[in-house]
Amino acid sequence: MNSSQIEIPYFKRFAKWKIIIILLTLALMLVFIFAVAAGPTQIPPLNTYGIIIKQIPLLGNFVGSELSLTEETIVLQVRLPRVLAAAIVGVALAVAGVVLQGLLRNPMADPYVLGISSGAGLGASLAIVFGAGAPFLGLLYSIPIMAFVFAIGTVLLVYLISKRGEGVPMVTLLLVGMAANSFLLAIISVIKLFSGEAVHAIMAWMFGSLATTNWNHIKMSLPFVMIGVTVIYFFARDLNIMLLGEEQAQNLGVDAERLKKITIASATLITAASVSISGIIGFIGLIIPHMARILVGPDHRILIPSSALSGAIVLILCDTIGRMIVRPAELPVGIITSLLGVPFFIYLIRKKKRPISW
Amino acid sequence: MVTLKISGVDCYYGSIKALENITFTVREGEIVGILGPNGSGKTTLLRTISRTLKPKVGAVLLDDVNVYKMSFKDAAKNIAVVPQETMFTFDFTSLDVVLMGRHPYIDRFGRESREDLAIAKKAMELTNTSPLADRPVNELSGGEKQLVLIARALAQEPKVLLLDEPTTHLDINHQIEIMDLLREICKAKALIVLAVFHDFNLAARYCDSAILLNRGRIYSIGSIDAVLNTENIRKVFQINAIIKRHPITNQLYVIPLSTLKPNINRATDITIHIICGGGTGAPLMKKLLEQGYFVTAGVLNTLDTDHDVACTLGIPVVSEAPFSPITEENYRANLEMMNKASAIVVTSVPFGYGNLLNLKAATEALERGIPTFVMDEVPIKQRDFTKGEAEKLLLELKRKGAAFVGSEAELLHLVGILEKKLKGSLAEGVQ
Repeated sequence: MNSSQIEIPYFKRFAKWKIIIILLTLALMLVFIFAVAAGPTQIPPLNTYGIIIKQIPLLGNFVGSELSLTEETIVLQVRLPRVLAAAIVGVALAVAGVVLQGLLRNPMADPYVLGISSGAGLGASLAIVFGAGAPFLGLLYSIPIMAFVFAIGTVLLVYLISKRGEGVPMVTLLLVGMAANSFLLAIISVIKLFSGEAVHAIMAWMFGSLATTNWNHIKMSLPFVMIGVTVIYFFARDLNIMLLGEEQAQNLGVDAERLKKITIASATLITAASVSISGIIGFIGLIIPHMARILVGPDHRILIPSSALSGAIVLILCDTIGRMIVRPAELPVGIITSLLGVPFFIYLIRKKKRPISW
Repeated sequence: MVTLKISGVDCYYGSIKALENITFTVREGEIVGILGPNGSGKTTLLRTISRTLKPKVGAVLLDDVNVYKMSFKDAAKNIAVVPQETMFTFDFTSLDVVLMGRHPYIDRFGRESREDLAIAKKAMELTNTSPLADRPVNELSGGEKQLVLIARALAQEPKVLLLDEPTTHLDINHQIEIMDLLREICKAKALIVLAVFHDFNLAARYCDSAILLNRGRIYSIGSIDAVLNTENIRKVFQINAIIKRHPITNQLYVIPLSTLKPNINRATDITIHIICGGGTGAPLMKKLLEQGYFVTAGVLNTLDTDHDVACTLGIPVVSEAPFSPITEENYRANLEMMNKASAIVVTSVPFGYGNLLNLKAATEALERGIPTFVMDEVPIKQRDFTKGEAEKLLLELKRKGAAFVGSEAELLHLVGILEKKLKGSLAEGVQ
């Protein structure tokens, strides 16, 4: 085999990756536009885009001023933040899922394995029932902030408990995370038992919903998710090598302990930031990484961006379907993700010729 | 001149000491075999050098730089490891895996350059893995995987190559292929190669020197010829072994014979004397020893295979000079030895004028009442080079009551019966 026979296909792959990213970005834009236009109040699609374009400096001057103020409020204050939130949460959960499945070398891992979900749930429950933090923040903000703080705190505790000398064995981390999940869920159950009316609010939060998101939620979560995902992306090659196991990764020049710290911290941050505004949306963080692996292969350099884009696309779609399907009521997005995503995932697995790997 | 220096290293797993006071130096272009029984610290030694297990005391110095003071990437540029077995659970291609060897050379924000690809490609050519480049690595055979991992290690362009039993799970052809390749690369690129071996013969064939570990300490170190000797093998592995130089390859080879564990099944003081030669007695000596009997042999010429085996097994033997007829003196000595035996076995050895006296001795012993077994798997006519004299003596033995047996199994059975009888009479005597 001469050099060009290896080289050309190899460098072709980078071009192929570019095409994948461009296609997924286009798909995301389409889904985004569709989702903003959809909703119980009929607003002509052209008006929707006019309202959005109007907000962009310079470009806005070319849009007519005959747009209604009600429509503008619905698009800008209700739909746009909600669709953006779906995108942010979708990106965060999918990327965190990729990282944890890779680091733990476990196809069952998802962003919640280290106790984030139950930690956030406990924080949210405390905020709902006792109004913890509410006096200064108001309930709309005390829930996300309590959820965020408790989520981070839980993972930190799980990490410290798992620590052995200088390192953290991943299997220990996984087990302690599972134990923490069980323990915290038990506490949440106790709170629910004695919470009276508030039990519905807790359950709704635990299902995951984007119904109440506003611009402040976006401002709270977007910076964390952007920074976290960027950091993780720059460790993509290291994550590839970690799939060989920690000892081999170290022999290839990867500082495994440092990598674990940085990527787990980033994954925790982005998951906590998204869970705090959306509640616990299941399935996305587990299945999107697998879907992306089936479609683009195991290399984290393409796996991370394509998972991020797919996560955003799928979550926006699911949330929009949830809004439309039982109008004027809504189905929580967490239910839609499972009801629609699982059959699609099974289809993908069946279609694949080789047994699933990660 | 690249040198790897291990000086005074102590290593622990928790509170268990795994290595103690390990000191040695290796120079470029050398293949060093690490030998020793399970749990002696072979893999631990490799892990200490590869920075996976930090020594509590002592240092690992590569060209006088402490490897534990290097950055992870610098260490990976200098030291590459080929692990014993790797589970690949993902769909990376062989080329992807080999390119991982370039990781220490690639900037965090960069990606593989054409140069990296060229180096990976060359490593794959050297290891004959180029045709596998596009194949998912988890679909390769064990030998192919091992070759890909060696290619990955070479892509690191290291000074030191550490291998943990590189060929254990491979077929003989792959073993030779991989070891030939390693030797070639070691010499061509002036690498330091340290490899753990289970197979003495492979080590003897390819190593310049060896380190024999026992319970975390260096038991013996030096040239492979100095380290691989019967005494060392006996002490460290608790087995008797024959170590010889192969006439064709001129390399040492090791044949394990038996463990040193005393045979507790059968405490017997029965001695069996074997008249043999030309290799006809060797298997029987080993079998009888294993069954718990004492064995003696003679008269045998030095250089005779049976003589060698008897000496290796520690069997008392009456020796004659090479290619010489049995002298009167040795004939007497042999008779004396036979008198102490409980039984005599004559194997199907060819008889010439040189060893005819052994048959005379057997006749004499039989006359004194010592049970004699004659193995005649090969008809005497085919192995009588004395114009019928040997045949005459054998017939006489038969006439006087020697038992003729056709196989080793039959012989062992008869010896067993004899043993019971002897024990019985012994018991009667006590009563």
